Amino acid sequence: MTRREKILTYLEKRTFSMSEGVTTNEISEATGVLRSNVSRELNQLVREGRIKKTNGRPVHYVVNHAAGKRKGKMQQKPNIGFAGDARISDQNIEENYTANRNEVDVFENMIGSRDSLRNQVEQAKAALLYPPHGLNTLIIGPTGSGKTYFANKMYHFALDREIISKKGFTTFNCADYAHNPQLLMSHLFGYVKGAFTGANDNKDGLIQEADGGMLFLDEVHRLPPEGQEMIFYFMDHGTYSRLGETTKVHHADVRLVYATTEDPESSLLQTFVRRIPIIIQLPGFNQRNAREKLQLLEQLLTLEANRIHKNIRLSEDVVQALLGSVTYGNVGQLKSNIQLVCAQGFLNSMHNKNEITLLFSQLPPNIKDGLSNLANNRQELGNLSRLLEPTMVIKPDAKRGLPDIDSYELPYNLYEIIGDKAALLKEEGLDQAAINNFIMTDINLHLKSFYHQGKLEKTVNSLNEIVDQEIIDLTKQIQQLLQERENYPVRDNFIYAMSLHISSFIKRIQSGKPLRTISSDLISMVHDYPAELKIAERVKDLIEDHYHFPIPESEMYYMAILLVSLKSEPKTGKVGIVVAAHGNSTASSMVQVVSQLLSVDNIAAYDMPLEMSPKVALDGIASQVKSIDQDNGVLLLVDMGSLSTFSSKLTEKTNVHVKTIDMVTTAMVLEAARKTALIDSDLETVYRELREFNGYSRTIERVQKKKNDVQKRSNQRQKAIIAICSTGEGTARRIKDLLDKILVDNLIDDITVITVSVVNMKEQIAEIQQNYQIVATTGVVKPQVAAPFVSLENLFQGGGESFVGLIEEINNHTARETEALEQSELLTEEMSQKYLGQYFTFINPVKIAKILWNYCGFIQQRSKAKMSNAFKISLIMHMAGALERYLTRSEMSVDEQRLSRVRTEKMYPIVKQANEVLHKTLNVNLSDPEVYFIVELFNTEKEKNDTQSN
Amino acid sequence: MTMDIRLLRIDSRLIHGQVTTNWAKAIKVNRILVVSDRVAKDLTRRTLIIQATPPGIRANVVTVEKMIRLYHDPRFSFLKPMILVEDAVDARCLVEGGVRIDSVNIGAISFDTTRVMVTDAIAVNEDDVAAFKWFHERGIKLDVRKVSNDSSKNLWKSLSEKGLV
Repeated sequence: MTRREKILTYLEKRTFSMSEGVTTNEISEATGVLRSNVSRELNQLVREGRIKKTNGRPVHYVVNHAAGKRKGKMQQKPNIGFAGDARISDQNIEENYTANRNEVDVFENMIGSRDSLRNQVEQAKAALLYPPHGLNTLIIGPTGSGKTYFANKMYHFALDREIISKKGFTTFNCADYAHNPQLLMSHLFGYVKGAFTGANDNKDGLIQEADGGMLFLDEVHRLPPEGQEMIFYFMDHGTYSRLGETTKVHHADVRLVYATTEDPESSLLQTFVRRIPIIIQLPGFNQRNAREKLQLLEQLLTLEANRIHKNIRLSEDVVQALLGSVTYGNVGQLKSNIQLVCAQGFLNSMHNKNEITLLFSQLPPNIKDGLSNLANNRQELGNLSRLLEPTMVIKPDAKRGLPDIDSYELPYNLYEIIGDKAALLKEEGLDQAAINNFIMTDINLHLKSFYHQGKLEKTVNSLNEIVDQEIIDLTKQIQQLLQERENYPVRDNFIYAMSLHISSFIKRIQSGKPLRTISSDLISMVHDYPAELKIAERVKDLIEDHYHFPIPESEMYYMAILLVSLKSEPKTGKVGIVVAAHGNSTASSMVQVVSQLLSVDNIAAYDMPLEMSPKVALDGIASQVKSIDQDNGVLLLVDMGSLSTFSSKLTEKTNVHVKTIDMVTTAMVLEAARKTALIDSDLETVYRELREFNGYSRTIERVQKKKNDVQKRSNQRQKAIIAICSTGEGTARRIKDLLDKILVDNLIDDITVITVSVVNMKEQIAEIQQNYQIVATTGVVKPQVAAPFVSLENLFQGGGESFVGLIEEINNHTARETEALEQSELLTEEMSQKYLGQYFTFINPVKIAKILWNYCGFIQQRSKAKMSNAFKISLIMHMAGALERYLTRSEMSVDEQRLSRVRTEKMYPIVKQANEVLHKTLNVNLSDPEVYFIVELFNTEKEKNDTQSN
Repeated sequence: MTMDIRLLRIDSRLIHGQVTTNWAKAIKVNRILVVSDRVAKDLTRRTLIIQATPPGIRANVVTVEKMIRLYHDPRFSFLKPMILVEDAVDARCLVEGGVRIDSVNIGAISFDTTRVMVTDAIAVNEDDVAAFKWFHERGIKLDVRKVSNDSSKNLWKSLSEKGLV
C-alpha cells in the first residue's frame, strides 16, 4: 500500500465513526507515516478534492463524499500497487476520460504511446485524419506484438473523432481461408446467386458489412493474388464486384487496416508495401524498454485481477520470470503466460477471499526458466531491477476494464470453471493436493488446446529452419508420451535436443552411413540408468513405427544417454556464497554485479548499515546462509572486523558448514562465484584457493608483469568452444556449423568449436583442455568446466545472438561496457572538446564545445527526441565541421530538389531555429545545404534506431 | 580467394555521419572495417564510431594485425568491406601485410602541430609523406575525394606542388 493509500484508507475508516474528522498528528500516529509526509499527502488530496479540511486549528480532515464521481479517477494511481511508490504508473492515463468525447485520445492510455510507440501512434493518427478519406495502413509486427490491439485503438480513435460513421470493427484473418481462394474472396466481397455450386442466394461480403466502418485484414500476406488485385482496385476506386458479377458496381466506404508478421522486404509483401502509403511497424516485446514491459505486465495482471475480483500479489522474481518467459510470442505470449500462472495462483489461493499469491516455487518450469533467460540479458535485468520492488500487488481496477476482444482471450471464463470444478471435487471428498493436481492438468489442457489452434504454435519456429517439421511433430509425440504415460519429467529444452538428435541419426541412416558401434564405455554408462534405457526403448519403437525402418540398437543407447543428459537440473548442490559488508548497499551491489556477469543463483548479499548491532547482523547472515545453502556448505565473504569470527557461530546456528574470508572485493566475489559454479567444487577447496586469490590485476605488479604477458599471450593456448551431444556427431555438428557461421560473421578467427560426445565426456574435455582454453560450452548437457554454458534453446532461439555477446565478452572483456557507455557520463562536453581539438584546425575547442553542446540540448528539447550522448558527440563533430567549412568558405552544396524536400521535414524548422541561436551567438549563418546535412544526420540516426528496434 | 576490398580510405575521423553513409551506398559494401590499433584499445572512440555507423550495415573495429590475418583467411572471403584507417602509415602497414588494392582514397587527415595543410582537408607530416611516396612508387593511386561523387584529385600532384615530394 502506498503512503497515500494508507492515509486515505485510514481517513475513510475514521470518517465513518467521527464526524469532525481527524488531525494530521492522529493520522501520522495511526499510519506510522512521518508527519511531514502525511501533511504533504493531505494537501495534495485536498487540492484534488478527495478530502475536505475544516477551518480553525488544529485542522481536521474528512473524506469528501461529494467527490464520489471523481473518486474512480483518483483511485487509478494507487491501484498500481507497488509496495513503495507507485512510480511506474502513468499518471495521466485517465485524466482525459471525463473530458469531451472529441478530445479523448484513446491512444493516450496505450502503454508506450509516449515512448516506444510514439511514432507509430503519430503515424496512425495521421493516417486516419488525412483528408479526405484517410490513408490505408499496414501494420507490421511480430507475432503477439499487438497488431490487432493497435488496429482496435485506431478504430476507436476514428470513432471518437467521427472519422467513421458507423460502429463496427470488422476483422478478417486471411490465413483462415488461404488454402481456398474462392471461399476467401466470397467472404470478402460476397457473391451472387449461382456464382458457384451452393451459392443459392445473393450474399454481401465483409466489405459491404464494413461500409462506413473499419475493416481489419490480418495476415494479409496470405491473401491470394486475385484477392490482392481486387482489394487494390477497391482501394483506388471504392467499388468492387461480388463473385459472379462482371461489373464493379458496388460501392463501399471502408477504412482498411492491414496487418502482417511478414518481413516487409519479403516478396509476398512487396506489392502491399508499394501500394499502401502508411506502414506502421510495431516493436517486439523485447524492444520495449524495461518500464514499458513492467507496465504491460501490470496491465495484463490487472485484467486478471478484474476477472477474479481479488488482489494479485507477486514477488520480484515472479515478475522477472514472467517477463523473461516471453521468448517469441511478445505481449500475446506474456498474456497467456500470465493467464496460466494466475489460474494456477487462483487455484492455490482459493481459500483466500481477497488475494491470490503467485509464488516462484509454484511456477511451471517453462516460466521459471524465464528468470534465467532474463539473467542472460544483464543490461535488461539491471534496468528492470531498478524499477522493481520486492513485492507487487495488483488490485482490480474497473477503469482499466475488461480486455478488448482479441485472439489471446479465452472464449470462456477459466476462473469460473476452476472454481466450479474445485467445489465439485471437494464434494467428492478429494483432498486439496489431489484437487490442485487435477485442476492444474485441466488448466494446462484448456490453455494448450486454445493456444495451439492459433498463435502460439511458433515455439519451434527457429528450430523449424534446421529440423523438418515432421521430426518436430514426432518429437512432440514423444514428449507427450513421456510426460503422460511414462510420467517422465521433461523440460523446455527437450524439443530442441531430441529433435536435433533424431534428425541427425535419421539422416545418417537414410544416407546409408555405417552404424555407430556400441563401445564398452557406452554400455557401462547406460548401465547405471536402467529407467532411461527402458524409456529409450519406447522412444525407439515410436520412431520405428513412424519411419517404418529398423533403428539400430546402438541408437537406443545414445537415446538413453540423451535422456539422462536432459534430466532436470542436477541435484548435487553448489557451494553457496553470502557476501556481508558494512554500508547500506555495499554487499548487494557487489552481488548484483557478479550475478549479472555470471548469471549464477548460489549467491546472496547481506547489507549492514553501520549502526546495525552484531547480534542483528548475525541473525540476518544466518538466515541468508540458510536460504542459499544447497547442502554443500556456504562461503561467507565479509569486509572486515568482527564479522570474520562468525564462522563457528553461524555453523552452530544453521547447521551449515561455513567458512569465512575477509577483505571482500568485487573481484573476489566474482572469483568465488566462478569457482563455486562448478557442481563438483567443495567448500574447502574453494576456500583454500580463494585465500590465495589476490585480484585479477594487482597494480603494483602490473608494470613488470606486462612484459611477460605479451610473451605469454603469443604461446597462450587457443580458445575453444565445446559443443556436446550424445554422439558428438549429430546435434553437436549442427551447433558447430551454426557457431562457425556466427564466429566468422563477427570476424572472430581465434576460437575453434569442438564437438564432444556425452560418452567419455570428461576424458575428452580433459584432453581438449591440454591444448585449448575452453571459453564456453553448449549442448544437451552442461559439463563441469569453468566456462559459461549456453543452453540449446537459448542458442537456437536467439539465433546465436546471446553467444555473440558472450564471445565478445570473452574476447575483450569490454563489450559489456560498450553498451553502457552509450549513455554514459564519460561522453561529456569535455570529451567533445577533446575530440574537437583533435580533429579540427581553425575553431577553438574550448569556446565552441560549450556552444555546440547547448545546440544539442536546444534541439533535444524542441524535438522531444531522445539523443544518446554518443549521437550528441557525432552531431557536435558534424557542426564543428560545418562551422569550419563556413569559416574557410568551403560550404557544401546540394541540388535544389533535395533542398526543397528537406524543407518539409519535421526536423527542418527545429534545426533552423537552433541555427538562429548559433547565428545570434557567433554571427555565423549556415547555408541551406548545411542545414540539409544536419537534418539528414537526424534522419539517419532515426532510421538506425528504427531498424535496431525492429 | 581473398576478400574483395571495395575501398581503402584514410580519414582521421574514420566513420562519420553522411560521408560514410554516402560511400557505403555508392560502392555497395557489406561491412565496414575500421582498422586501427588505437581505436581497438580505446573504448570511448570505439563506441562513438560504432554509433556513427550508417543504418543497415555492420562495422567492426580490428587491429592492423588482425585485419591482415582476416584478409588471408579464406573463411572471411565473403566480406566486401570498406576499410577505414586513420592515417597513411596504417594504410601502408596493411598493404605491406599483403592486402592488395590499386588505389587509396584519402578523405581527411586532421591538422596537428606536426603536420602541414596540403588541401583544405588534408594535412601531412613526414611519416605520411613517406607512406604516400611508398604507395606512389608501387603505382597505387592516391585518390582525394570526400564523397564518392566528388571529382577525384591526385594527392601526389598536391604534394608535388607544395614541394613536399
